[in-house]
Parts: sequence; structure tokens; C-alpha cells
Amino acid sequence: MPVLEIKLSRASRIYLPSEPLEGKVILKSNSSFSHYGVRLSVNGSVNMQVRGGSAGIVESLVGAVKPITIMNTIAEVRPPGRITSGTTEIPFSISIRQSGGDHHERFYETFHGANISIQYLLTADVMRGYLHKSLSATMEFIVESDKAELLERPVSSEMVVFYITQDTQKHPLLPELKSGGFRVTGRISTLCSLSDPISGELVVENSAVPIHSIDIHLLRIESILFGERIITETSLVQTTQIVDGDICRNMTLPIYIILPRLLTCPTSLAGPFSIEFKVSIVITFQSELSKVQPKSDPRTPRLWVAMETLPLELIRTR
Amino acid sequence: MEFQPRDYKALIEAHALHRTRADDHPLSAPTVSHHQVDTVEDIKEEFFDPLREPNSKVSSLLDNEEDIHYPPELTFTEPTGQECTKREWTSFKRFLMQRFPVPKMVSISAMSNGILRSSKKSEKLSTATHLEELDDEQKILEEGIKFIDRQEYISRLKDFKEKIAKAWQSDDRVTSLKIAIKVAKLLTDTSVGQFYPTLFVLATDIMDMLGDMVWERIKQKAEIAEDGDFLFSLPVNFQANDVCLDAKETCNNWFCKIGSIKELLPRIYLELALLPCWRFLIDQPIDSLQRLVMMTRGLADPLACSYCHLYIAHCAEKLPTFDSGCLIRCVDDTKHLLMYSLLLKEGIQESSEDRRKFLVSLMEPSIEYIMHHIFDKASQKLVESALSEFGVGNNEPHESVLSVSIIVHNLIKELPADIVRSKAMGITYLIECCNDYTLDQWLNYRLLGFRLSEGECSLNIIPVIDQVIKSVSQKDMVDEYLKVVDAYMDLILQKQMDDHLIRILESISKWTYRKEMVEDELTCLQSIMVKILTHFKELKDIIALEHFFEILDMMHGRSQIVVSMHIVDRAIRGGLICDPAIIQLLFKVCQTLIHAVNQVNVRDNDLQQPAHLISRFICKVNYGFDIEQHLTFLVECRQVFGTTDELKETLVHSSNSLAIKLLRNKKKGLNFVKSCIAFNEVTIPSITSFMQQLKLYLETAEVAIMGGLVSHSYGLIDSCISCLQSPDLNGRSADGDEILSFLQKLCSFLVMVPGNYVQGATYTPNSLFVLLDSQSWMTLRMRLRICCAMILLSATLSQMNLPYHACNSRIPGNDVLFYDDPTYLEDYILFAEEVTGKLVDVINQEPSHVVRGRMALEACNCIALSFKMNSKISTICSELLGIAKRGLGSKDRYLKATLDLIGSCSEFPQACQ
Repeated sequence: MPVLEIKLSRASRIYLPSEPLEGKVILKSNSSFSHYGVRLSVNGSVNMQVRGGSAGIVESLVGAVKPITIMNTIAEVRPPGRITSGTTEIPFSISIRQSGGDHHERFYETFHGANISIQYLLTADVMRGYLHKSLSATMEFIVESDKAELLERPVSSEMVVFYITQDTQKHPLLPELKSGGFRVTGRISTLCSLSDPISGELVVENSAVPIHSIDIHLLRIESILFGERIITETSLVQTTQIVDGDICRNMTLPIYIILPRLLTCPTSLAGPFSIEFKVSIVITFQSELSKVQPKSDPRTPRLWVAMETLPLELIRTR
Repeated sequence: MEFQPRDYKALIEAHALHRTRADDHPLSAPTVSHHQVDTVEDIKEEFFDPLREPNSKVSSLLDNEEDIHYPPELTFTEPTGQECTKREWTSFKRFLMQRFPVPKMVSISAMSNGILRSSKKSEKLSTATHLEELDDEQKILEEGIKFIDRQEYISRLKDFKEKIAKAWQSDDRVTSLKIAIKVAKLLTDTSVGQFYPTLFVLATDIMDMLGDMVWERIKQKAEIAEDGDFLFSLPVNFQANDVCLDAKETCNNWFCKIGSIKELLPRIYLELALLPCWRFLIDQPIDSLQRLVMMTRGLADPLACSYCHLYIAHCAEKLPTFDSGCLIRCVDDTKHLLMYSLLLKEGIQESSEDRRKFLVSLMEPSIEYIMHHIFDKASQKLVESALSEFGVGNNEPHESVLSVSIIVHNLIKELPADIVRSKAMGITYLIECCNDYTLDQWLNYRLLGFRLSEGECSLNIIPVIDQVIKSVSQKDMVDEYLKVVDAYMDLILQKQMDDHLIRILESISKWTYRKEMVEDELTCLQSIMVKILTHFKELKDIIALEHFFEILDMMHGRSQIVVSMHIVDRAIRGGLICDPAIIQLLFKVCQTLIHAVNQVNVRDNDLQQPAHLISRFICKVNYGFDIEQHLTFLVECRQVFGTTDELKETLVHSSNSLAIKLLRNKKKGLNFVKSCIAFNEVTIPSITSFMQQLKLYLETAEVAIMGGLVSHSYGLIDSCISCLQSPDLNGRSADGDEILSFLQKLCSFLVMVPGNYVQGATYTPNSLFVLLDSQSWMTLRMRLRICCAMILLSATLSQMNLPYHACNSRIPGNDVLFYDDPTYLEDYILFAEEVTGKLVDVINQEPSHVVRGRMALEACNCIALSFKMNSKISTICSELLGIAKRGLGSKDRYLKATLDLIGSCSEFPQACQ
């Protein structure tokens, strides 16, 4: 049985829409065989699904919303013929953006979310008639926005000042927290380039109850137009701890969070769906209660937790 | 039989060595030309003369040889900075592990269960394990703390390290990273306490390994293209621009992966491990370092935080540019953390004091290491800025910022000595400001004292000392006061601050009156006293020092002994001690010394030294012409030091030398000599060593002869003999050779002693001869030698002129006394015959042929020399020669020489056959 492999020209597998997708199709075989052609197909699509809870029962049973196709190109890189034994390499180069396309197609960046996933796949097929199984190999490649279309780097000092006290909390707190009081202030960037870390500062000014931990949650908000409703779900992308234990008061701490690849993309508000992000600063206080309660979704407001959530716009810069 | 007559004068002349004047003095430096010719001529036979000047040819030859022997060491280039720091770090790690030995069991909390889980996986099936793991976790949650065997813990960490290396080799870098994160997480758990430093060393070892591997990989990517072609090699000081995009991408990926670690501490550790890799991306990796330092502020646990700082300091050294600012911030943050925990925990639990001190002791190495690196290579400007950061003001009070003792301590420890001196006042204020649980304040004062004593100080140091002493005396703690003062003593003495010295001594003496000193304080006081003693060259100055001897009196035990010994030592270093007042004082010191030594119950070895010192003191005492006074002093000494043998010996020697001194100078005052001898006669019997007794008796007898006191010397010789006869000699372990040589000396002394008219001339030799049979412990060889000595003595005494006489002309020799007295000669011939008979007897008793042969030759030589050859003598000789021939064979060289001798002095050559 021959083996089929795809190897892309870049180890990172990142390509811009304006660039050609280049690489090699590699066939390894012990004996020579004939085929009906080696074909490559490039497929880009937005897949959406609505999970139970926010959608009705019927919809959840029906499952996914119809995916949106971004691109679908098929190219034959080798006409029908014979492949000799040993290793055969077939180089290819496919332009991602169809030059003949009359309307300006939108290229979304690759994104792997909870309900929305934007994915670009390259598939190679070798058809071998009825008696033989056809060969197939698939590989994902990553698309990032064209540099030419991008904005200049945003003004970096777009920071939002925040302060968290017992009075800014919308959920009930432990009585000792309420009476003793606390104040954590700082600033954090709300407009952030995907290639830069989220930066900011944080100061614990005072707190009567010892602090257990301070974490920054990166959240994504995925909205899908489903019928006539918009179904929105918020989920946790990444947690980064910045304080471990009851630290000194009035010391400035840096906030520095590298954005995870694939799990983030530029904030996008398309017609049928939208992807947005938020950061949430969560202060956990030391409490006996927290030990008793089992672990759960960190976003749930608890008696011993104080938080502040801020919107975060992610953009791709040059 | 007849003795061989001898003319000693002629013999001396005949046997004297021929003397010629030498060209050079043997000890004078050889002339250069002469010397060099020698070396050039026979280089091959050149031997290494250690006394030769080092620049001579030989030493250079040796150097060359070393070149050949150890080429690798010499070809080593200067170690680069990186290598140096690496070595330093390695030795620091060793120091860390040694300083905090790990208990057998390590307590861990739930945070470290990474270490627990790994073992189970290898043992059991995964499904079963999973359930148990849940159980385990539950248990840990309930109990909070678990214990694990130290060895197990360490071997697991080693396991991890191997796994990382293995995974890396099989291109599974994600697994490597995952395990490394697991290891880094272990550092979160500080409940391991004493084990934490070791854990840190092992874990950072793993981090460093990972960091190196990542560095190598990215560097390789930058240098080698994807298809395996070598592009170029990165220069040492490469810029981010030199690195290709592919390598940058890989590097970025690594930082992204590390950035996604949730927990703060492992994230910091791993980024630190990869810190040098920032150079592939940016030209100023220092910025990242600064951020990491700031991020470390998020660690609230002081122990975890300070070791993280330590790792920062270590990783910062790997960067090409050094920034002490980061390190200063580290120390500053540690300071805040300590101050915060000070505030927070004050009053919560008094019992946790020990625990907190322990924590600080665990943290100290980190502070020390960082401090050291701040000031290690820092320029003057950097030092200045660091000082103001640490709150050392410009010698003005109340300018200082708050600080923490332990940090101030390490600051003082690591500051360059000249800075310590110039900023002494500022540092003093800083010390004054911080008095907290992390370190006792006095330790800082003390350290400052030691640092100040390191170099030459200017006079402006006086107010500093004033300030320090003022603030220490306020606390009214003897122990602390003494320890601090001890540190400043050198300075005080060096600057001749006599007022201070007197004030200090006064307050010490007040304290000593108030309460008895304990061991610790005594040791410290001892050090102070010894410093004073070493400083003053003259004993007079010390005597003039108020309170000094008061304090000495109040001391006790070992410290008192040591100080007293120093005083005596100082006294005997000078010339003779003539001042009666000083003698009296030293006598008292010696008295207390002996007293203290007896009380403290020290081992004999320790006792030797004081006794030795005192005996040297006694020798140095000199009353000039007032010898009566001197003798009285000796009598006093005997009363006080009567318990020590060595001292009694010295007393006897001293009294003998007193008598000699008198005899030399005045030749009058026989009574005084008599009292000296009487003193000795009383003193000697109390000495325990019997050999010493003998020697001293003989010595005194010699003095008596010199003084013309014949009857005294008879008595003393009798004492010798009775001493030898004493029955309890058998039990004692007397050295045979020593006794033998003593007896031989006694025989030679008897040549000078006039024969006893009343008891007969041969009375003394006879009593010695009797001794031979009565003492069973004497070996045959000893008996032989003694017999020979007595034969030779008899032969000598029967000469017309004796070879030597007593130097006192009033004492006649036997040659004068018994001139032409036939009975005298006969007595000696009879005696000699008797001894010769005994001699042959003794030889025949010897069982070994060879030994017997040698003994026979010895005897034969003696007989041939002493007697005129006649038939009787030659019979004895040939008999002895026969024994020798049988024992040694006829070819023996000693035998041949003996035969020659006998041939030369024999009138009957047939005796030799």
C-alpha cells in the first residue's frame, strides 16, 4: 500500500491569503502503480454549532448550523498515469485568493473556538480505480490576514483603568470581605495586537482578608445568528495567574499575557456570526469555604471571589 | 695483671685531627663565578638544593620540566566570564545542599503530588491507578501534609531529568516541556522546609538543562538550513537581525507555550530558563528580565520568592549585558516581603518565632548570593546608587530608609571594604534603625566592626565607634556588649583610643562584679583580653592598664588559663625579667594559672603548655646580684608549683645555675652554695620520674664538686646509687639505654671525684658493681657495657696523670691523693679482675651466637686497651676471640680490626692465633 503525505513549505503552516500555498505531495511506494490523477482540494469554511441550553431541544438535536464556505478550490497536480516505485515528490503551488473572483471575498483568520471554528484544510487525493483503495491525506494550514489590508499598529497606550472594591461587586460577598473591605487597582490594555501580549499593571492597595490568588481569565464570546435569534455563549480560553498568595500591599505588579495562537483571532463581527473577547480580573480570597466547595467553572461568582470584566478588542497589526 | 699506662697529653696530640685553615667560611655566600662554573659543568648531576636562591639555573630548569609535565594546565586560556560564573554557581549549589542537610523524611503538601503520582503509573495499570489517584488526592486534601522519603524524592527528580533528556532526543519536545513544568511546579510547595534548597538545586538543574537544549536547538535552526546545509555560524555577540525567520518562529513558539502555563511560579521559572533565548528575538533581553523581576512580586511566599530571585540572579549572568538594577530590585522586594510578613505576623503567634527564624535562615543564602553579585563587579557609580537604594545615607542621622536586619547584614558583608569605611556612619544609622527578628542587631554591629578592621582606617572612625558602643551599652546585655566590643577591639587599639579602652574595661569589670560570667561570655572576654595583650608590646603598659587584672581575677576556667598563658608568654618573650614588682605579679598570674589548671581537670597534654611557660618564666627571672632573694623566690615557687614535675626540674636547674653564678663571680659564699645544694636535695626526691632524679642528682653532685664540697657530692652519688637500688624500680618503665648512658656518665664523673679515704677508694665503683647482680631488669648487653665502663674507669684511675680534673683547684684528683699508694692500685686491680670475671660470665650467658660474638669483641677491645698484655690477659682475649670467631665467622671486619689492635699492643703475638 503506497503512503501519501503532504508537506508544506513553511513549518509554521501560516499563509496569507495573497500568498501562494506551496509544498510537496510525497508518495512512497514499494512498487509502481497507475492512477487516475493526483488531485488537491483547498477548503476553507466557518463551522458553527449551537449547543443545548441556549438553543431549543429540536435545534440541539438537529445539531450544527449550515457552515459558511470561504473557499473551495480543486487542482489536479498530476494527470492520470503511472507512479514509479520509491519516493515521488510532486511540488505544487496554489493561490489561495482566486484572482478571477469578482466580489471581494472576506478571508477570516483561522480560529478554533468552542462553538465556532474557522478552518482551512488542504486535501490530497489519488484515485486508483475500483480494485484499489484511493489514497487521501489532509492537512490544516493557518490563514492570517494580509498585511496590506491591515491597520497601522494601534496606539499602544490604550489602557483602561480599573479598580475593584467590595462595592463594585454585583454578587454577594463574605461578610468579612464586605466589612473589612479591599481595593485592587490597575490598568490593562483593551485594544491589543495579536502578536503582542496583553499588558498592564495591578496594585493591591489593601485587603483585610488575605488574598489567595489573582488570576486573569481570557474569555471569548461567540455569537451565532440562528434563525432569527442570536445565540451567544461565553467560554474560558486561558487562565493566567499573576498573584500567588497574600502579597505585599502597594507593590506594582505587571500584567503580561501572551495570546494563545489558534484560540484567538481578530475580533470579528460578520453577519452570521461574531467573535469577541473579554478579560476578567479575578481575585480569590483565602476562605475556609473555598476548600469545602468542589472546583467549578471559574467564572461563577462566589462569595470569596471578586472580579472585574473588561472588553478586549484583538486586532492583527503589521 | 697490670693496667696499661697512658700518656693522655701525647695521645690527644697524636689523635687530634690535622687542622688547616679553610679558604671560605662554610656559611658565607659562595662567589658567583665559582658557583656558575659548577652548574654548567655537571648539569646532569645537579640536585635540587632548597636553599639556593630561586632565580638560579636549577629552578628555571624545574619550571621547564613542569611545562612538559602539565601542558594542559598551562595551555588553558584564561577562563571566560561565563565559565567563571558557571563554576561559581556549581560551588554555590554544593554549598546550599551542604548547609541545609535534608532530613530523612520530607513533608510535602498537596501541591507536590506531581512527585507522588509518577511512581504509581509505572507500577500499576492505568485504570486502577486512576481510581487510586482520586483516593490519594482526597486523602491529601483531608490531611494536608504527607511524608515522602528523601531518597525517593531525589531519585524521582533524577528520573524526571532523564525522561526530559530522552524525550528531547526522540524529538518529543512537548513531553520534555510538560515534565519540566511539572518539576517547576514542585517549587511552589515550600512546606518541604529544610529540603527546599536541595529541591531548588535539583529542579533548577533540570531547568538549566532544558534552557540549554532549547538554546542549542534554536541556534542550530539559525545556523543550519532546513535541507541540512550549513549557513553560517552565529557570532558570540549576534544581534536579533542575524537570526533567520524560521528560528525566530521556533523561539517565539517556545515563549508562547510557556506563556500559556497557568500558575505563576512555574511560568517564571521556565521563562528564566529560556531567558537567553530572548536574544534571538530582541536586542535588549534585559527588558524581559526586568519584567520577570516584577512578576516575581506576585509570589507571596517569602521562601519561594527569594529562591526565585536567586534563580533570576543566576539566569541574569547568562545574558551578555549585566544589570545590577534588577538585582537591587530583587533585594528590595525581598525586603518589602520581609517587612510585610513582619507586620502581618507580629502578634499572631509568639511560638512561631523559631519557625520564622528558620525561614530567614533558609532565605539567607539567596540574599547573600544576590548581594554578592551586585557589588562583585560594580563600578563606583553603581555602588553609590545601590547604596542609596539600600538606604545608606551620607553619614547623617535619620536619613536612612527602613530596612531589615538580615539584608543590612548581607549588605555590610558584601560591600567593598573602602566603601564600608567611608560610609561607616551611614551604615551605623542604618543598623540602628532595624532591629527585627530576622537577625539580632548586635550581629550587624559586630560584622561592621570586623569589616572596618580589614584595612587602614582614618581617624574619622572614632565617632562611629562611639556611636556603636553607646547603642550597645544602652541595652545592658553583657553577652552582646562583649561580642560587639570584641569586634572593635582591634580598631580601638590600632587608633590608640586609650580613653575608650579604659571605659570599656571599666564597664566590663562592673559587670563581672555583678554576676558570674557564663561560658559564652568568657570566650568572648578571653578574645578581648588576648587582643589587648597582643597589642601592647611591653608588659608594663598592661600593668598600667586599669581594671585589666581585676577582670582577669574574675575570670575562671579555660579562658582564665588562656589569658594567663598569654600574659606569661608576653613576659618571657622579652629579655631577663629583673623588676621585682613584675616578677611578683607574674608569679601571682602563674599561681592562678596553676590553680586554674588543677581545677579545670584538663588532660595532661593541655597541662604541659602552662607548665612549660612557667618554667621558662622561672628561667628568665633575674635578681641580679641579690642571689639570696633569688633563692627565696625559688623556694616560694617550690611551695606553689610543687605539684608539677617539670617545674621542679626547672627549679633544681635554676638553683644549680645560681650556685655556679656565685662560684664564677666571687668564689666566696660557700654557705650559699650549700643552701642551694640543700634546696636541691630536698626538691629532687619529690620528682616522680626516677630518671630525672638521677640526672638531677648527678648535676648537683657536679656543682658540689665545683664548689669543693666533696662530702656533699659523696652524699649525692650515694643518693644516686640508692635510687638505682630502690626495689620499686622494677615496676617502673625505665629506658634501659638511658640508664646505661647515665651510668657511663657517672663513671666518667667518678674520674674527678676524689676517692673515699674512709670507705676505701673503690667504694663507689664497688657499690655500682654490686648493683649489677641485684637488679634483675638489666639486660646482658647493659651489664656488659657497664662492666666495660668500670674496667675503663679503673684503668684510668690507676694512671699517674688523670686525663681531667675538677676545675676547683682545691679538690685534688686521685692521682695526687693516692700518689704512689700500692694498696690503692691493688684495690683497683682486684676490682678490675673481679669485673673481668663477671664480664666473661655475662658473655657466656648470652644464648645467640652472633650477639655473643659481638659482645665478646666489645669486651676484648676494652680489655686489650686497659690491661698490659700478659699470659692471663691473652688467655682471656683468645678465649673471647674464639667465641667471636664461632659466632661471626673469621671474615668479620670487626673481628679483624680487633685482631689488629691486639696484635699492635701485644708482646705475645701468638695470642692472636
